[in-house]
Amino acid sequence: MNGILSFARRFARNRAALAGVLVLLFVGAMALSAPFVYPSDPWDMVTMPFVWPGEDAEVWLGSDMMGRDLASGIFHGAKVSLTIGFVATLLATLFGTLVGALAGYYLGLADTLLMRVTELFQTIPQFIFAIVVVAILTPSVTNVTLAIALVSWPSVARLVRGEVLALREREFVQASRSIGMGDLRIIATQILPNALGPIIVMGSLMVATAILTEAGLAFLGLGDPNVMSWGSIIGAGRDALRSAWYITAIPGFAILLTVLALNLVGEGLNDALNPRLKNR
Amino acid sequence: MNRTPKTSESLVISRLFATFARCAFAGALTIAAAAPAFAEEPPTNGGAITFALSPEPPFVLTSINTTLQMGIVGSKIMEPLMALGVDLEMRPVLATSWEISPDGLTYTFHLREGVTWHDGEPFTSADVQFTIMDVLKKLHPRGRSAFAKVTAVETPDEHTAILKLSEPAPPLLVALASGYEAPMTPKHVFGGTDIPANPAINQPIGTGPFVFKEWEKGNYILLEKNPDYWDAGKPHLDRIVFRIINDASARAAGLESGEIDIAGLSPVPLTDMVRLQDDPDLTITTDGYAYMSPFMLMEVNTRKPPLDDRRVRQAIAYAVNRDLMTKIVWMGYGKPATSPIPSPVEAFHAAEGTIPAYPYDTAKAEALLDEAGYPMKGGKRFSITIDPIPLGTDYVRTAEFIKQQLGKVGIDASIRSQDLPTFFKRVYTDYDFDIDSLYYGAFADPTQGVQRLFWSKSIQPGVVYSNPTGYANPEMDRLLEAAQSENDPEKRKALYLDMQALAMTDLSVIPLMETRFATIASAKLKNHTITADGVIGGSFADAYLIAD
Repeated sequence: MNGILSFARRFARNRAALAGVLVLLFVGAMALSAPFVYPSDPWDMVTMPFVWPGEDAEVWLGSDMMGRDLASGIFHGAKVSLTIGFVATLLATLFGTLVGALAGYYLGLADTLLMRVTELFQTIPQFIFAIVVVAILTPSVTNVTLAIALVSWPSVARLVRGEVLALREREFVQASRSIGMGDLRIIATQILPNALGPIIVMGSLMVATAILTEAGLAFLGLGDPNVMSWGSIIGAGRDALRSAWYITAIPGFAILLTVLALNLVGEGLNDALNPRLKNR
Repeated sequence: MNRTPKTSESLVISRLFATFARCAFAGALTIAAAAPAFAEEPPTNGGAITFALSPEPPFVLTSINTTLQMGIVGSKIMEPLMALGVDLEMRPVLATSWEISPDGLTYTFHLREGVTWHDGEPFTSADVQFTIMDVLKKLHPRGRSAFAKVTAVETPDEHTAILKLSEPAPPLLVALASGYEAPMTPKHVFGGTDIPANPAINQPIGTGPFVFKEWEKGNYILLEKNPDYWDAGKPHLDRIVFRIINDASARAAGLESGEIDIAGLSPVPLTDMVRLQDDPDLTITTDGYAYMSPFMLMEVNTRKPPLDDRRVRQAIAYAVNRDLMTKIVWMGYGKPATSPIPSPVEAFHAAEGTIPAYPYDTAKAEALLDEAGYPMKGGKRFSITIDPIPLGTDYVRTAEFIKQQLGKVGIDASIRSQDLPTFFKRVYTDYDFDIDSLYYGAFADPTQGVQRLFWSKSIQPGVVYSNPTGYANPEMDRLLEAAQSENDPEKRKALYLDMQALAMTDLSVIPLMETRFATIASAKLKNHTITADGVIGGSFADAYLIAD
């Protein structure tokens, strides 16, 4: 309890990070409240096409070229973008941690093999790789999430490997080994908890990247055509960029804000979790 | 030259359509009328133009594949026997004159002398025979029905080709009069080979004003002036570059900046059309699509439940508001369709009220679905997938619109996106789809464009744009086959009226909208649209750039 409190105090010292948390909480609230605030389908054509923001109180953020309520799209889109961002990151982190921990703990052949495979993935530009995967698997929420996870795990693996390498020779690990603890138990209960800080920091930044990647894919027409995400609103609105820029600007601003918030939170977490900076 | 009454009738149909097309757009596109006519001043020679193309065709040989984008490239390289002018006069191209026997069973074509293929071989009647008998009749999706009655092509000498018919075939001459629909195909290149597998389809050889030079896949196709073209003094342009630009907004920007000289098939986002119309450096015309008479429709796979039930298909037709779709998705660039023979094909189109109609009515749709045994359970009756043809955002939005409308009556539709080859394979080879949405060309005669949608003999796996619905009705086949060779225009129309009534009852195909395509070009480019098939089938031999 004490630990959490001191962590919170350290985190709160970073005002920008606090602002980031507030923005994220707001976006999260938007996502959760979407079904109640806008119970109808965001794809429903509720009004005339091209209603500008502020022109009609019924659709305060305006409507797109099909007469769909942009505010409803932003609320429901928040759910999609956050879900994809968090789930993809979770998958990538779990897999990357597993690979990195095994490589860093066992070294030798396992390390060589796992790291060469990781490097193989790292040589391919992430976004291009994601495009190829989605194009092959056909665009759907599941496939987009999988593709993002597939391109983001290598950096986690490298980070975790480094942490494990540093920790595996420490006294407490050797002590655990000497009392006969199994390898997996040592990794899970002794090493990883101590490597958690950097992993969490990296995860928060990866969520931001994942949201951007999803938006990029949807912009290119590789999003799930049945799901309205911020990226897909931008992709569709691009056609009308010259005549109705607000259709792309509004979801674009939502993405900007969310990604910025995630970066600030990541920064704050880094400050709070990094023991070397504890008394800065 | 002689024309039988049947031929002039076909011309009248087209003329009516052209008039219709011009009237329909008079309000929206005031600049349209000026563009197509032959310009007065003498053409200037030289210059290169850039034609924006999307999507990239897989190869270039329109005598075996009817992709419109392929026609745009192929028609500059390969030529037809005749061309149908935008004024709807038949003009000689590779045939200098032709006669039709009074019984309508013998067509004699006198071929132009001194014409050579781009590789130097002479063009002869053997090429005509090969094109019609071995290529169009066997491998062209519409050629199967258009040339069904042609039993032989005789070649008494190198410059005479005589078509022998088993029964009169009224639309034959029109079917031959397009560089897109019936380009003459070199026998010395393709004869005796498996044409779709012949690598020559990637390096097309023709007799036309432009010679295929280079193709960098995904980037551009380069054609250069044919210095030995039979029509001395033509072509006026030195080069045509077809640039593959898949993004509609990029095409709009390219046209505005002058980087692109011309693009067809409504190349820019419809929201941009109004803005470009006011640009003095550009011309917009809806001419040049009369030959194809394109219309949007949904093909319904009738092979499996729930879509095997006619009542379900009728419910879908009631549930989709076509007026609203035309207004909102297509911004008025079209007209709601009520029949599989669209209204521009006036000689055969069934007037409203004479065949079953499906005005927007969700109550009727729901009643039909209940009756068919698909009750509403938790806001949903059953799920289906829509495959919109991947030709751009307009088609995706059409599918989004249909999905929303179907959702209102409890049909849970999801949209599937894929690339064009996957779409073609899914719909026309594997038949692994529920509903698609795309456009077809109805063409001036129903045997050309409409029959392939309903005829049971058009169910041929692998042939694109050929009955993928699995619809096979002996009565439909009887009507189509009788109409195909009926000589009496009145009886023929009666057969097609019955056919439309049956089609609109069984609804294996749900007509959505008669499309109005536009070509946008630089004001400096003249004579790009002088035939009824416009930029898709025109050769550009007469096109030129006016000097600055």
